Amino acid sequence: MPLPKFDYIRPRTMRKLVSALAERKADAKIIAGGTDLVVLLRDKIVRPNYVIDVKGVRELHKLSWNKKLGLTIGAAVTLKELLDSDIVKQKFGVLWKAASTLADPTIRNRATLVGNICNASPAADTAPALLVLDAKVEVVGKGKRTVAIKDFFKGVKKTALKPGEFVRAVKVPNPPEGARGDYLEWGRTVGEDLSVVGVAALVADSGEKLVRVALSSVAPTPLLVPDIEGAFRDGGSLDEKIERAVSIVQSKICPISDVRCCKEYRLYMAGVLTSRVLKRLLGAADVKA
Amino acid sequence: MSRHKISLTANGQRYDVEVEANRTLLQLIREDLEMTGTKCACERGDCGLCTVLLDGVPTKSCLVLAVEVDGREVTTIEGLVKGDELNAVQRAFIEHGAVQCGFCTPAFVIAATALLKRNPHPTEDDVKEAMGGILCRCTGYRQIIDAILDASKKR
Repeated sequence: MPLPKFDYIRPRTMRKLVSALAERKADAKIIAGGTDLVVLLRDKIVRPNYVIDVKGVRELHKLSWNKKLGLTIGAAVTLKELLDSDIVKQKFGVLWKAASTLADPTIRNRATLVGNICNASPAADTAPALLVLDAKVEVVGKGKRTVAIKDFFKGVKKTALKPGEFVRAVKVPNPPEGARGDYLEWGRTVGEDLSVVGVAALVADSGEKLVRVALSSVAPTPLLVPDIEGAFRDGGSLDEKIERAVSIVQSKICPISDVRCCKEYRLYMAGVLTSRVLKRLLGAADVKA
Repeated sequence: MSRHKISLTANGQRYDVEVEANRTLLQLIREDLEMTGTKCACERGDCGLCTVLLDGVPTKSCLVLAVEVDGREVTTIEGLVKGDELNAVQRAFIEHGAVQCGFCTPAFVIAATALLKRNPHPTEDDVKEAMGGILCRCTGYRQIIDAILDASKKR
């Protein structure tokens, strides 16, 4: 079946990209990897008259790291490029792990990280990792602005982007020295399905100073759980602290029942994965203490 | 709708074609270039049967617009044979009975050929990971995995 009709535009410079989008605003959709957009076009969920390709702009292909500024992931950087980066694997392990669980390797050859967050699925695999890493989204339109990743997701498939705006890059600050992170995903199959629930965690200083937990597929948007550190402030064994963290997580999420499973199962598995990932990240350090 | 003049190399031969904006790479390959070895099934990136190599990289051609491949190099199943000689993966698929209905075979062979080029000695897990995006509804994968591992030993 042919796709619905649209015009295709491939600007070669940032300036031309900005003006191409400014002229057409909500009448246009951005294509990067296309792994979400082409499906949305086919299903007529989005019906743009214009599809604007960001891959013609060289600077958007930039994946770079800087001791001071951290990681910059341009809008056209594929998940494969992210996974091939030693810096990402060593310093941003939680993001690397999340990228490695997204869809399948053939999709990852084409799909982009920026596309994953702009699609704003509640199940977006890279979102929890970006949330615990406190990433910043660089938005370009009439001017430039920076949006914290936790303020970027506004609802199911809704973002903070206004018509005429697009994401130039995602910036990920360097995690604190000694920080460890991981992402666990629970699903019906590997690769061919969205997750039932995904949990990302980042800890530093044996879990006393910094503990962040974020989840996907348990609320209208990917969610950074607030006040999780409270669970670790009071005394008790590591198991008790983690149990308190699980209660906080389960009190802050609002999963739905859908084709994949019921909400009770999601709530339960969010607890199991939270406990599992925190034990994995905190276990060894606390045994010593 | 906008129309675009593009040139691409497919299986070593250059093509100059005009495509409409909404044409997919899969349609271009099957309908315009008349190479029907690449199969069309789900058209939404789930089944992987339309997998081709884009500059050597396995890509689901149903999710790529034809206009996006201007100046790029495409390899399909038709491009893997040299004269009458099948490549190592193709021979191993026959030896191991890794083909039943055959509909998924071009995609698996393409993806496996790319895997062995990138990683000549894959483990079984490497093979499973690399084939993760392609579905087979007949053989149950065992013969496919065995064929790819065997091909890696015979190269």
